[in-house]
Amino acid sequence: MAKRPSRLKSTKANSLLTRLGAIRPRLFAFLLDWASWGYVAYAVMFLINRYWFVRYVNFYGTLTLPPWGWPLVVLATLELVVLSHAFGHSIGLSLFGLELLTHSHRFPTVRDRASRYLWWHASALLLPVSLWRSGRECLLLHDVRSKTCMVPLAEVKDELPVTKPRPWYLTNRGLMTVALIGLTFWVGWLTTQINLQRLFSRAPKSAYLWKALVTPDFEHLAMPDPELKDSIMGGMLESIFMALLATIFGGLIAFPLSFLGARNIMGFSPLGWLIFTLARAFFNVFRSIESILWAVVFAVWVGFGPFAGVLALTIHTIAALGKLYSEQVESIDPGPLEAIAATGARRWQVVLYGVIPQIIPSYLAFSLYRWDINVRMSTVIALVGGGGIGRILFYYKGQVGRLSNAWNQVGAVVFTIVAVVWLLDYISGRVREKII
Amino acid sequence: MKDRYYAGFMQEKPRWMRSLADLRGRLFVFITDAIALIYLWTMVSYCSNTFMFHTKSFVTLPWWVMLLVVIEATALWENFGVSVGMKLLGLRLTSADGSAPSLGDRALRYLTWHFSGLPLVGVVAAKDGQAWHDRLSGLRVVGAEDVETERYPWYRRSWSIALLVLLIVTLVTAMLVTRVDFVKFFTGAPKTGRIWRAFLSPEWSLLGDGIRLLIVTVFMAFMATLFGVLIAVPLSFLAARNLTQGLIGRTVYTIVRGAMSITRSIEPIIWAIIFVVWVRVGAFPGVLALFVHSVADLTKLYSERLESIDPGPVEAIRATGANKLQVIIYGIIPQIINPYLSFTLYRWDINVRMATIIGIVGGGGIGQRLYQYTRLWRWSEAGLLMLLIMIVVWMMDYTSSRLRARLG
Amino acid sequence: MADHLVVEHLTKVYERGDVLALDDISFSVEKGEFLVLIGLSGSGKSTLLRCINRLIEPTAGKVYFDGIDVTAASSRDLRQLRRRMAMIFQQFNLVRRSSVLTNVLSGRLGYVNPWLSATHQFPHSEIKMAMANLERVGIPEQAYKRADELSGGQQQRVGIARALMQTPELLMADEPVSALDPATSHSVMRYLELMNREDGVTVLASLHFLSLARRYGTRILALKDGKIVYEGLPSEIDEARFKEIYGEEAEQVEVH
Ligand SMILES: Nc1ncnc2c1ncn2[C@@H]1O[C@H](COP(=O)(O)OP(=O)(O)OP(=O)(O)O)[C@@H](O)[C@H]1O
Ligand SMILES: [Mg+2]
Repeated sequence: MAKRPSRLKSTKANSLLTRLGAIRPRLFAFLLDWASWGYVAYAVMFLINRYWFVRYVNFYGTLTLPPWGWPLVVLATLELVVLSHAFGHSIGLSLFGLELLTHSHRFPTVRDRASRYLWWHASALLLPVSLWRSGRECLLLHDVRSKTCMVPLAEVKDELPVTKPRPWYLTNRGLMTVALIGLTFWVGWLTTQINLQRLFSRAPKSAYLWKALVTPDFEHLAMPDPELKDSIMGGMLESIFMALLATIFGGLIAFPLSFLGARNIMGFSPLGWLIFTLARAFFNVFRSIESILWAVVFAVWVGFGPFAGVLALTIHTIAALGKLYSEQVESIDPGPLEAIAATGARRWQVVLYGVIPQIIPSYLAFSLYRWDINVRMSTVIALVGGGGIGRILFYYKGQVGRLSNAWNQVGAVVFTIVAVVWLLDYISGRVREKII
Repeated sequence: MKDRYYAGFMQEKPRWMRSLADLRGRLFVFITDAIALIYLWTMVSYCSNTFMFHTKSFVTLPWWVMLLVVIEATALWENFGVSVGMKLLGLRLTSADGSAPSLGDRALRYLTWHFSGLPLVGVVAAKDGQAWHDRLSGLRVVGAEDVETERYPWYRRSWSIALLVLLIVTLVTAMLVTRVDFVKFFTGAPKTGRIWRAFLSPEWSLLGDGIRLLIVTVFMAFMATLFGVLIAVPLSFLAARNLTQGLIGRTVYTIVRGAMSITRSIEPIIWAIIFVVWVRVGAFPGVLALFVHSVADLTKLYSERLESIDPGPVEAIRATGANKLQVIIYGIIPQIINPYLSFTLYRWDINVRMATIIGIVGGGGIGQRLYQYTRLWRWSEAGLLMLLIMIVVWMMDYTSSRLRARLG
Repeated sequence: MADHLVVEHLTKVYERGDVLALDDISFSVEKGEFLVLIGLSGSGKSTLLRCINRLIEPTAGKVYFDGIDVTAASSRDLRQLRRRMAMIFQQFNLVRRSSVLTNVLSGRLGYVNPWLSATHQFPHSEIKMAMANLERVGIPEQAYKRADELSGGQQQRVGIARALMQTPELLMADEPVSALDPATSHSVMRYLELMNREDGVTVLASLHFLSLARRYGTRILALKDGKIVYEGLPSEIDEARFKEIYGEEAEQVEVH
């Protein structure tokens, strides 16, 4: 089998940039492991606080840490990372595909590892010098002195001798993963105040609620409630239309934006890169805020009512569809594009004749899918004044205590929502199958 | 002796089965067209009520008037044009020799339809797929691929015009129902100036509190996902069509799938309302609400994935004489571990988003505080919390998509 | 009953599409034979093999293995029977994400303690046996790789090693070499021949190429549209017979 050239033997110019490139995975793996040990420290401190000193624990769980405690924690976690990198295979190393090997690509002995661990401290103290003096292979002081280095596993896989992998409970990363999950579970149980006893002891009390919910009162299904001036079906229709409009508006706006957010369309010129980055950043920022929060803003802007809901859903739809669409554009078959570009067509002509025909079906499918999500979302957006079926739901919920059958009415609304959402889900699923 | 083995399998279907299928097709076409027309009718009357009488109502004329008109209109449409229902099933009306029917034949078929097709007798008694009104008029309904017809431009095809009208009417009604008002959209913009300004100068003194709330929120999502996975993994095996065979299996499959799709169609916020009543306000009802929704969603995702596993290895393991448990452990689980992890990450991502808003109804986390601030119009504080949410959600989104890409 | 495997009036109708895939098939196989099934694509070869160990439930007919009625066996007995008849597949059917060793060991699942195997623990002797079998098919150094990192020929050898783990009396091979190139095909076929000659395993293989069938088979069974159209020695298939089996337009392709 032909040997692939190892990165260590690359003949690239010895610029700072290449050196930084070579050190990048190592750096990331290091930071990741440091963060995970830091997280372990946080969790342990949290638990100590919780069980030893029974008092209010603030967010970093360090209420009882003396001033010298902080540097201690930082140093301790640092040492642990270095130890786990020298003597084991940490999560960071396996995630970034690195393996500690000697310069001749053998597995290091314990002596090598110990020497690496010790030399690391000198190397870290002299980091600028060490980085400056590292050759093009970016061998830092401790790499040189211990005659070991971190090698990308993919490049040396074929040279390594076959060994039986260890079971997970004997590896650093296996144990660490379990520890992380276990600690998170423990701390999470405490922070979210999970209380199974309350869940069960209050179950009988909530029985009346369930009883009311499953015996819905469809009195106002089609007949408008005199106080609310609307019926359940009217509200549902409002929700469906809100979702529909939001999907159409959002889809129309996301369509042109999606090309700006696609790598293969924007190319690699600085301007293209800038637009691409801006478009993607826009999608990500606006996607990360739920539409219900947007509704708060729009309720101020255009007043309470379904229009505010439509606008809120539209914003979120633009971002979500924009991202999906542009990923779709990126995954198209480049063959036809080349063919059209080869005829001397301009860029927009390539898009019009090569790209758009390829993406229309999946765009439709995504939009349908989005409509589905929007209908679901529109059932609750009324909570902050967005209109739709939620308005009726929360109205009846608010009548609990005043109306004896308020929960039954809520039940009727929920039943309607389930039926309609289920139906739309089914239809859009069938149509999507057909389209793609 | 040979006949005993498979007699009945290869025979033609009995006549009643064929005419039942025929009836189903005709009913489908008719009901589809009628529903389209009823929809058109109600939406148009809603619009005209709004414009002319300034009332909001979907019905003006009595329901039987509508029904009569719709039935007649549907029959006319299906006899004198290609209706939406016919288009969906790919059907055309032709005369016996395959040519386009004359207007007289069409009118005859339309008239005879009233005592043959409407009371269904003529259809039930159909022979060779020809109902009474088909025979009397000498026309028949055939697959579109069997006839040579001129291709008309879209504005001369009744079904495409109908779809266009439906679309326009839907849009107009939707705008009326949701009270779309672009004037307000532009004139109201200055009102939000204060909000944007406040967002630009967030209240930094709230940072510590905000981070604490955020940690709670992320833990809520984690706990909900973890519990959700623990329940959804075993459930998914019961909800996968290829693993549930036999009468009991199918029953379990139907029940689990049905329950999950009902649970899934109720938003976590609505679940949270119920759980707040049950276990009182706090992060716990939020976790429960997210948990319930996650179970339903994950079960669906997982079981769909189970349905698409490669049957080859499963077959190979079965052929070695392994029992059911061993087939699952050696043939199925290795195939699904990575997709399951990837779905779980995806769901965690969604749960973090949901956890940021579930507090609105008392489900704890950062959303509760954020909602309070917005109600008090304290936008600087709200702005800081929104900023924090944005950062965390973006981080989760990024790491989870990177990890998912690695899982492949 | 003297014969090793007896198939009587086997019929299979696929409900989906009303396909009559096997139409009253009867034949018997003696111990130590290398019986080759040939026939066009869709003639029912795979269906026949899968009906024998009931990976597919036959619609009617009987299969006897060493005098035991396979078609009437309870699920427990069926597992015991399947242990004795190994199978290898055209697409190898390895669990792609598991290691080669795990794949080979899974051939032993019918023998080991089911509860112990649920935790992926195998007795030491079984692991040794797996390594020995990997040695036998010439890929001991691949044991800890993931199965999908191997080439097609290597994967099929893993499939053979998995079958060897069952210490089978009958080996069914469903087009074991049609996904492989000619040279690799021969090396894989030679392992089957070796099992047949040295271990006395009866082999029932479906093949696409007549030349391979002539080279390795001791007897040939030709299927067409779910019926047996020829049964006899490989050397007796002449041009006319060939046309009868494969249709008028067919021409012989040689694999060397
Ligand atoms: N699961 C199934 N459902 C319905 N019909 C099937 C199914 N599997 C096979 N068939 C049909 O049964 C017939 C025999 O198929 P089979 O796979 O046994 O043929 P084969 O000889 O193995 O062909 P090939 O050489 O392509 O593998 C074919 O007509 C096929 O279409
Ligand atoms: Mg086959």
